[in-house]
Amino acid sequence: MPRELEVVSPRAGLMRAFLSSWAALVYLFLFVPIGLLVAFSFNANKYGTFPFTGWTTHWYGQVFGDYQIKDALTTTLRVAIFVTIVSTIVGTAAAFPLVRSKLPFRSAVRVGMTLPIMIPGLLIGVSLLVFLTNVFHLQLSVWTAIVGQSVYTTPFVLLIVAARLQGFDQSLERAASDLGANTFNRMRYVVLPLIAPAVFAGALFAFTLSLDEFIITLFLIGGSNTLPLYIYTQVKFGITPEVNALATLLLLASLVLIALAFVLPTATRRLRLAVRARRVAG
Amino acid sequence: MAATPQPAYAGAPAAVSPPRRGVVARLSQYTGFTPAIVLFGGFFLAPMVLIVLYSFWETVNYNTVHHFTFSNYSYFFSTSTYVRTLIDTVWVAAVATFLTLAAAFPLAYWLARYVRPAIRRPLLLLVILPFWTSYLLRVYAWLNILGPEGAMNRFLHWIGLTSQPVSFFLYDRPAVILVLAYLYFPFAALTLYASLERFDWDQFKAAMDLGATPFTALRRIMLPQIKPGITTSVIFVFIPILGEYLTPQLVGGAKGVMIGNLIANFFVGAQYTRGAAAALLITAVIVVLLIVFRRSLEVRDAYAP
Repeated sequence: MPRELEVVSPRAGLMRAFLSSWAALVYLFLFVPIGLLVAFSFNANKYGTFPFTGWTTHWYGQVFGDYQIKDALTTTLRVAIFVTIVSTIVGTAAAFPLVRSKLPFRSAVRVGMTLPIMIPGLLIGVSLLVFLTNVFHLQLSVWTAIVGQSVYTTPFVLLIVAARLQGFDQSLERAASDLGANTFNRMRYVVLPLIAPAVFAGALFAFTLSLDEFIITLFLIGGSNTLPLYIYTQVKFGITPEVNALATLLLLASLVLIALAFVLPTATRRLRLAVRARRVAG
Repeated sequence: MAATPQPAYAGAPAAVSPPRRGVVARLSQYTGFTPAIVLFGGFFLAPMVLIVLYSFWETVNYNTVHHFTFSNYSYFFSTSTYVRTLIDTVWVAAVATFLTLAAAFPLAYWLARYVRPAIRRPLLLLVILPFWTSYLLRVYAWLNILGPEGAMNRFLHWIGLTSQPVSFFLYDRPAVILVLAYLYFPFAALTLYASLERFDWDQFKAAMDLGATPFTALRRIMLPQIKPGITTSVIFVFIPILGEYLTPQLVGGAKGVMIGNLIANFFVGAQYTRGAAAALLITAVIVVLLIVFRRSLEVRDAYAP
């Protein structure tokens, strides 16, 4: 079709060249900042910037030796694990009635449940801060941060699981009950295995979002530090190559987790099909 | 997940559900909402309601007095710096949204029209990739470029344009807008692409066969059809920018302050009632926008893998 269009308009070729160069510029715009960050983390220059004075992995050594970073990492992982558990359970449970019940104002409920994504994290943070400290007189801790982050991550799980449930063939369940399966067995052997990939992907997303979350945590965690908070306090004093190295490691972690979230559901499905095929053949 | 068996069945096909349903059965189909109601009701809705109340209360000697008043709002609107900041915030959000869409549209158009379907997906994935990495780190990455010792200054120095570092790039509004456009670009590109992908290019050809110039065809044939996609991307870029805190904080300096920084400062300074009023103003703008454009909010597979 593009060829035909070029015949119609002689300027189409020119247009295409322009758009292609624009696209190239856009990809540069997207990846040069991240690329520079990674490059600087291997740069021997102790100011963490230009010029390149040599290749080193020294800063990574410093990252791994830094007890503050180790502390922050422990806190980050603790928070992320609890946030993942809470948002996976709450999000998955809510996805069922959202998709399947005879819900009046379904789209309104859906928008309402995804509101924590649309409302700035800052507002979630400060409102919970006032609520927990002034009304309940709670001490800020990792637990208050976990609650705050869960409010923000749960809608993502909900959306992912609901999308999967929407495409769910309910005749499978009908077949199961025709064959005498009770409520529990239908859930255990039909529904859960089918939505498991989505639940798993949702959990991974929640985990990644929690690792990277900054603003809600800033207001709610009190004295502890997570990795993003640690980076933030360091950045205030200027850029250091050590932070560049830490940032590179964090970027890598998010990318790996997100790749898993995208790849694993399909991979497990294929694996299961293969195993089943073999079982049938054997 | 084992805690959620009931809802799965109550809403299930008629053959599965019992023929007659009482009130209990009708309510039991919503059981799955219980944890969500606790989480969102207790830790999202209730705090928001509290903020509304606070905005109508008074702070006297660092204590909140439960006494109905509009003074927090009148204080906000009578302080010219605050009003200025509010206007600037909307302005920055508008400019950043416009630039983001203006940059994203040609890319989406190129992807949908000129790129072979086989490599479209990987190219699209590359656009979205930064979106899934840390927000803080993407802002931080720009500090490497915009700072006084950053790549931009070094580059200008190297080509001989400047003799000493200029701080023009950092701690000002243009830097904020640039970084915001960077942060929200993936979102705009993805939504625009999603609507351009469904566009039937033969209509374009037909329009031009009938004598339309490419521009007329674009304006009168394509734009009306992809308008929902444009609205969605505007909403999804404009709204989050209204509540930005981190970007102005890190690259904006004193001249780039946005309403989010103002709100944070109120709360850090224990001026809860004034902070609540400022927070509510911005929330009100967002909620009104969400209600007006609710039809564009159908969240599609942008999130789902």
